Amino acid sequence: MNEPGEAVMEAVLDPAQREHYQLAWLSTVDHKRLGILYILTATVFFVAGGLEALTMRLQLAVPNNHLVAPDTYNMLFTMHGTTMIFLVVMPLVFGFGNYLIPLQIGARDMAFPRLNAFSFWLIPFGGILLHFSLLIGQGPAMGWFAYSPLNETPYQSQLGVDYWDVSLLVLGIGSVGTAINFITTVLCMRAPGMTLRRLPLFTWMSFLNSFLVLAAIPVLNAALVMLLIDRQLDTHFFLPAEGGSPILWQHIFWAFGHPEVYIMVLPAFGMISEIIPVFSRKPIFGYEFVAGSTVAIMFLSLGVWAHHMFTVGMGRPMDVFFAASSMLIAIPTGVKVLNWSATLYKGRIRLNTPMLYCLAFLVHFLCGGITGISHAIVPLDWQTHNSYYLVAHFHYVAVGSILFALIAALHYWFPKMSGRMMSEKLGKLSFWLMVIGFNGTFLIQHFLGLAGMGRRIYTYPDLPGWGWMNMVSTVSAFFMAAGAIVILWNVVVSLLSGRVAGDNPWEAWTLEWATTSPPPEENFDALPPIRSRRPMWDDANPDRPDPVVGPEHDGMQKESGSGIDKHFCAMLAFVVSETGFFGTLILAFLYFNLAPQPGPTAQVLDLGRTLFFSVCLFASSFTIWRCEKALHRGNIGMMVMWLTLTITLGLTFIAGQGLEYGNLMGNGMRIGTNLFTTTFFTLTGFHGIHVIVGLLMLMIVLGLAMAGDFRLKPPPAALAMVSVYWHFVDVVWVLVLTVAYILPHFVNHL
Amino acid sequence: MNTTQFLTSQWVLSPVALACAGVGLFVYFRRFGWNPGAWWLIAAAGVGLVTLMSPLGALAEGYLFSAHMLQHILLLLAVPGLAMMAIPAGTRTPRGVARVLHPAFCWGCGVGAMWIWHVPVLCDAAAASHAVSAVQTVSLLAMGAAFWWQLLAPREAERIAPLQGVVYLATACAACTALGIIFTFSPITVCKAYVHPVDRLGIEAMLYGTWGMNAARDQQVGGLLMWVPMCLVYLGAIFGQLARWYGAPAEPSTAHA
Repeated sequence: MNEPGEAVMEAVLDPAQREHYQLAWLSTVDHKRLGILYILTATVFFVAGGLEALTMRLQLAVPNNHLVAPDTYNMLFTMHGTTMIFLVVMPLVFGFGNYLIPLQIGARDMAFPRLNAFSFWLIPFGGILLHFSLLIGQGPAMGWFAYSPLNETPYQSQLGVDYWDVSLLVLGIGSVGTAINFITTVLCMRAPGMTLRRLPLFTWMSFLNSFLVLAAIPVLNAALVMLLIDRQLDTHFFLPAEGGSPILWQHIFWAFGHPEVYIMVLPAFGMISEIIPVFSRKPIFGYEFVAGSTVAIMFLSLGVWAHHMFTVGMGRPMDVFFAASSMLIAIPTGVKVLNWSATLYKGRIRLNTPMLYCLAFLVHFLCGGITGISHAIVPLDWQTHNSYYLVAHFHYVAVGSILFALIAALHYWFPKMSGRMMSEKLGKLSFWLMVIGFNGTFLIQHFLGLAGMGRRIYTYPDLPGWGWMNMVSTVSAFFMAAGAIVILWNVVVSLLSGRVAGDNPWEAWTLEWATTSPPPEENFDALPPIRSRRPMWDDANPDRPDPVVGPEHDGMQKESGSGIDKHFCAMLAFVVSETGFFGTLILAFLYFNLAPQPGPTAQVLDLGRTLFFSVCLFASSFTIWRCEKALHRGNIGMMVMWLTLTITLGLTFIAGQGLEYGNLMGNGMRIGTNLFTTTFFTLTGFHGIHVIVGLLMLMIVLGLAMAGDFRLKPPPAALAMVSVYWHFVDVVWVLVLTVAYILPHFVNHL
Repeated sequence: MNTTQFLTSQWVLSPVALACAGVGLFVYFRRFGWNPGAWWLIAAAGVGLVTLMSPLGALAEGYLFSAHMLQHILLLLAVPGLAMMAIPAGTRTPRGVARVLHPAFCWGCGVGAMWIWHVPVLCDAAAASHAVSAVQTVSLLAMGAAFWWQLLAPREAERIAPLQGVVYLATACAACTALGIIFTFSPITVCKAYVHPVDRLGIEAMLYGTWGMNAARDQQVGGLLMWVPMCLVYLGAIFGQLARWYGAPAEPSTAHA
């Protein structure tokens, strides 16, 4: 190992850990290390995504350029978008959340450290899957939103889309895991006194953001499994020639894709809301409005996706409603911008690097926000959609706002993570390189777009003005690259020889600054009393503390005795995410089957027999409830009996489904026969998989019970949790049974 | 008939609706006397009467599914909500009533009203028969009142906790979004009564010509009304819950500490 490498090791590992440093980081379940691993992983992919972007800019630097082939160019923009969103911004957002949430709420660690490690490791796994296809020259080449039918086998016969699809599924599962962990941590792990009303804004927004992840990512997962089934099993969800619907793909994708924008931006808002007050030496202006407007953004973002689809031709009613609701988002975001500005007003502003990036964020976000609203104006959107005007818009949000906020966060929290300050001189140099580079690259793209340059074109003719504007954009992109290199250099140099930071170098007010830098493994030796939103201010200014916020307890903390159980909370969050997944599959089923498909329809199903097996499944909900009651009374024998009965009933149901499948297949029906069989097998198949997973869990619980594990006081939470899952699977079957079996028989009589 | 003529001429006096509003106001003033909250009830009565007696009512009666949807939203959300706000704080709810109003029941009322009355058979029946339509109106008002009771009960202690209120409203929003999405994209007609209206007022040319309506678009607007504006009402109520939550005072014991 070389010299600086060893120095870095000394900086981040204590002697005992240096002995087996590989394991110390590979096997860690510590939220701080996982947070740093997230950030490092994201940095690696940032370099990859950045190089892809630079290659594209080089290709576009001059008209009629042939640096890269058209196909390569398509792969580049697909990989750039996918990488930056799923492998850079989301890991960074989750990484900072991982590092900071437990510290900001005064907790020892996340609620589920091992789930946390699992979620993290899915990111490199997914990232490698995604890049594997590119490295063998078969990268996906259909854009990050993979519009159908371009994403289907006839148009993308190579394996790239399949790798892309599976990789996003893997990453999506990791994100849902992280969201469950964040929600449970915030609800169940807060220190005494840290009520939800007193949460630092970064934690509050990451908390709300996790609900958005739970709502949005499963929708994407549903779309991805449908696409994968299309590609691997020759079905036609999204292939128009066979009756499938490319528009359905767009709806489902954007039902995920629009909230995704906010999944990336809400934590960035949280970071800004932490940094601006500290460097203005004032509490945030209107905490409740900043916090409340986040709730509004969260809800609105779930219901406005169709504004990505004005050019589809959805009809005037859709356009009008979605234009109006999209414009409404301007209100809560505007409230936030005004609150941040009002925080600056009459503050004693310190222009350190984090603050500089925040100020640039404000300007860029205002620009990106206003061009965003302009896209809600339908006729304008028809003109500018898929032009460089749109590219400029979303880069003002994604780079100028989100990435700038993340860089601000890096400079702000680096001293806490490493114990050393970052160089201000290099920080300011990087800031100016980034600001000039960013605005040079993207400001001019607004005009290119208005001049008619479409996005995703690998080259362009020598039209008046296009050449020099593209050249300006390309040259500026390299300024940004230089800025990024300076930031990375600053990190390395500061890690090795930065000024020692001390506990609270910025004189900030939230709890992460109440411990050493870097924090010890257990995070805190002792916590200051928490009565307001700025406990460190109260600690430093006992003569003029902030006003006490709200009651001392909110009934949600475990410590207060009446709190929610963390296992239950996590299971509930998991069930919510599964609801989104099944909800999407059920709506897709209705979409294709409300009007009967040509070929077999639901009339071929045996309703009577299925009702019998359904009763078995529903009865198993009763038996597992009895099983829990038996455990509650401490009667292990009865518990084992009811559990066995539950498993038997579940197996009977699965056997019934097997009979159904056997009959259908015996009659020559395959998943690809028509859209009825496709949607039927997909929906009931995924339900069946869930039943089988439930049965496996029940069998594990049965094994544990027979081994005597449930004689412990209090008994393990496993049975109660499997029970929640099992009830959920039953409820899903009520819906599936209604939609797939009962409704088609009566739809003509309703 | 053109649009102006239609909007000015189609106001009908419904004695039953007027009598109900009158009785409601009379009972209110007998019980509580004049107080500033009465304006809420007057607003509720006003919205209710406009919903039933204005051109909106005429359109909802056999012409437009979307008008009928708007009527539903007003009767379910606006009228009972406004009326509930009129009751002075601290008024006791009769014990029997309070016992029935479990949060799950109230949620089921608020959400179920929309699902039940849009089962095609019932939707058509309501469009065809005045009696069914009257039952529908009353049930919407009652179910709406049950839904809002959890959030607006006159005594704070009887209300749902603010954060649970957020979940209550968010899930209601999700449920009506799901139904709205189904209506918006459904290839089948929800209410056949609206597909070929009997043109008793002579406004078909206006609707299908000037207004650019057709049966498919009509159902789409109806679905979208349920999907977007209805959820905005819930979102507004969510803000009410957040304001209640953030507004909760600090406990005296901690204030002295």
